[in-house]
Amino acid sequence: MTITAGIDVGTGAVKTVVFDVQDGGAGEIKWLSRQTEKIRQRDPHRLAREAFDNALEEAGVTQEDVAYIATTGEAESLDFTTGHFYSMTTHARGGIYLEPRAGAILDVGALHGRAIIIDERGKVLNYRMTSQCASGSGQFLENIARYLGITQEEIGGLSKVADAPEKVSSICAVLSETDVINMVSRQVSTPNILKGIHLSMAGRLVKLLRAIKMKEGTVLMTGGLALDTGLLAALNEEMIGQKVSVEALSHKDSIYAGAIGAAIWGAFRHEKLAKIGALPLAS
Amino acid sequence: MKNTSEIIEYCQELYEDIDFTATRKWKDADPARKVVGYMPVYVPRELMHAGGILSLGILGGGDSMEVIHGDAYYQSYICRIPRSTIELAVTKRLDFVDGMLFPSICDVIRNLSGMWKLLMPDVYVRYFDTPQNFISGIGGDYYVNELRELKEGLEGIIGREITDDQIRNSIAVYNENRRLVNAVYDFRTAEPWKAPSWEVYLLMRAGMVLPVEEHSQLMSDYLAAAVSEDKPMRDNCRIILQGSFCEQPPLNLIKSIELSGCYIVDDDYMLVTRWLLEDVPTDGDPLVNLSEAFIKHSGETAAKYVPDAADKGKFLINAVKDKAAEGVIFAAPSFCDPALLDRPMMAGALSRTDIPYISFKYAENSGQMQPIREQAGTFADTIKLWSEAS
Repeated sequence: MTITAGIDVGTGAVKTVVFDVQDGGAGEIKWLSRQTEKIRQRDPHRLAREAFDNALEEAGVTQEDVAYIATTGEAESLDFTTGHFYSMTTHARGGIYLEPRAGAILDVGALHGRAIIIDERGKVLNYRMTSQCASGSGQFLENIARYLGITQEEIGGLSKVADAPEKVSSICAVLSETDVINMVSRQVSTPNILKGIHLSMAGRLVKLLRAIKMKEGTVLMTGGLALDTGLLAALNEEMIGQKVSVEALSHKDSIYAGAIGAAIWGAFRHEKLAKIGALPLAS
Repeated sequence: MKNTSEIIEYCQELYEDIDFTATRKWKDADPARKVVGYMPVYVPRELMHAGGILSLGILGGGDSMEVIHGDAYYQSYICRIPRSTIELAVTKRLDFVDGMLFPSICDVIRNLSGMWKLLMPDVYVRYFDTPQNFISGIGGDYYVNELRELKEGLEGIIGREITDDQIRNSIAVYNENRRLVNAVYDFRTAEPWKAPSWEVYLLMRAGMVLPVEEHSQLMSDYLAAAVSEDKPMRDNCRIILQGSFCEQPPLNLIKSIELSGCYIVDDDYMLVTRWLLEDVPTDGDPLVNLSEAFIKHSGETAAKYVPDAADKGKFLINAVKDKAAEGVIFAAPSFCDPALLDRPMMAGALSRTDIPYISFKYAENSGQMQPIREQAGTFADTIKLWSEAS
């Protein structure tokens, strides 16, 4: 039994998981607990510590029981961890754990979108990510929802009942917001605005997949927007529109993909280091 | 006893002070005191010390100084260190310096020495041309003559002769300083989590502005404190950083590499502190001894010619083996001809020995660390997860 923890500090939320992993990830992987905390202008590092403590309690273990505390995302400088993995590496491994058929991962978070081609081991083979602009990201969508007076949970459902969506700029968040203001003044319905945004985001994400030569198979959505059913639907529409034979899926635990990957890679490293007698000690 | 945080806090104050207050204070304490500045990579600081001169390492203006005048002196395709060094000069931050040495790093620094002569006609300026021939009777003799001319120049600054005994004494002082520098580096190689590279960097930077005796004491204190402090070991990969021997990266870059999951177990920052690989003898002709040390027992960097092409890269490969490093990060300043022209040869040597590496560029005022974190982070992951050796 190797207990490992994964802590993913994202831009919008902290996700923590605790696992019992056999054979460095090659054997049974048992999920013991999970915690999600929206950051909401709080100190993400303090939040990560709290989320980690809560996850340990839920799993019924103590920190001393944890063989490897792995971080990912913006958690490099947490002072109680064993090791850090880059977010692309962890989303790839977490993605293949959640959906073994996945040949690619679409990690769509608060500030960027990233398409990652992976192999069956969760090894990153190629990737492309959106540029610096927040357009086409969760943060942008969250802002628009606030302007439109709806909750984030309502976005997906409303988007799916749209009947005449209008696309917005997918390059620049400022231009996109101007587009949305124009639509509101033209009395375009909220569902059509949201679907238009989803289609614009989806179009950009499908282009990323095409850029890394993902032409067929299954892609798993991870990151903060993975549970946005409207975006998922728009993605599959765009796949058809851009003649890409790829099915986009999500998983109820997709938002944990980074933390899951970190925990599993942590177990892998623990086993590898144990073999050569070079185990680091988490403080 | 001071702890490492207190020592490093002091070093950081020195590092951030682009007015060189500590050196100015040293000079102001005695009207007879003189200061001679030098650029990377190597100058024989022993000669300055023997004349009672404080040698001041000038490594550009860093990321806190806005370059306005300096840009007027150089084309846009030239690196940043000469611009910010000019900026230091024209903003009077180096007005207390009695002499400047410009070692033979590259054409840009050679041109800078010419500009310095025009800008400051009353200051002793020397383009210090180190040998690129490593036969004692040829390059060695030439270098002894260079050292003699430098000694005479320094004697002109202080107005008296520098004796052989004074040089021998200074050689001993710097032998001790190098032993401590190497001890700090060895300690970091053995337990990098106890001596983070950004701390070691600041510690070595302090040696650029402090008298050598003070710097030696500082390193001794740091080692004593670092050994006794308990810091958690992380599961990081071990890498060697190459290419930063002249223009320095911002401190955040060094921190970013470590945060990304890499322990830096060797680097080429401030090579002047450990350019000579063995103690210089303290008996016999001191200039010949300094020359022989350079010719036969000095480090390797892009600014030094390697006569046999088959040997190119061996120094780095040996360092990888000696330091048990798992990879190399080539981090060179933008437009640095020596580092960037050297890189393909070094990278080729690494490829032939299956040592993984990545490359990126920076400037001393680089502010965006995300791309560097991404590259260093994925590199660390690749080594930790997919390398057979790791």
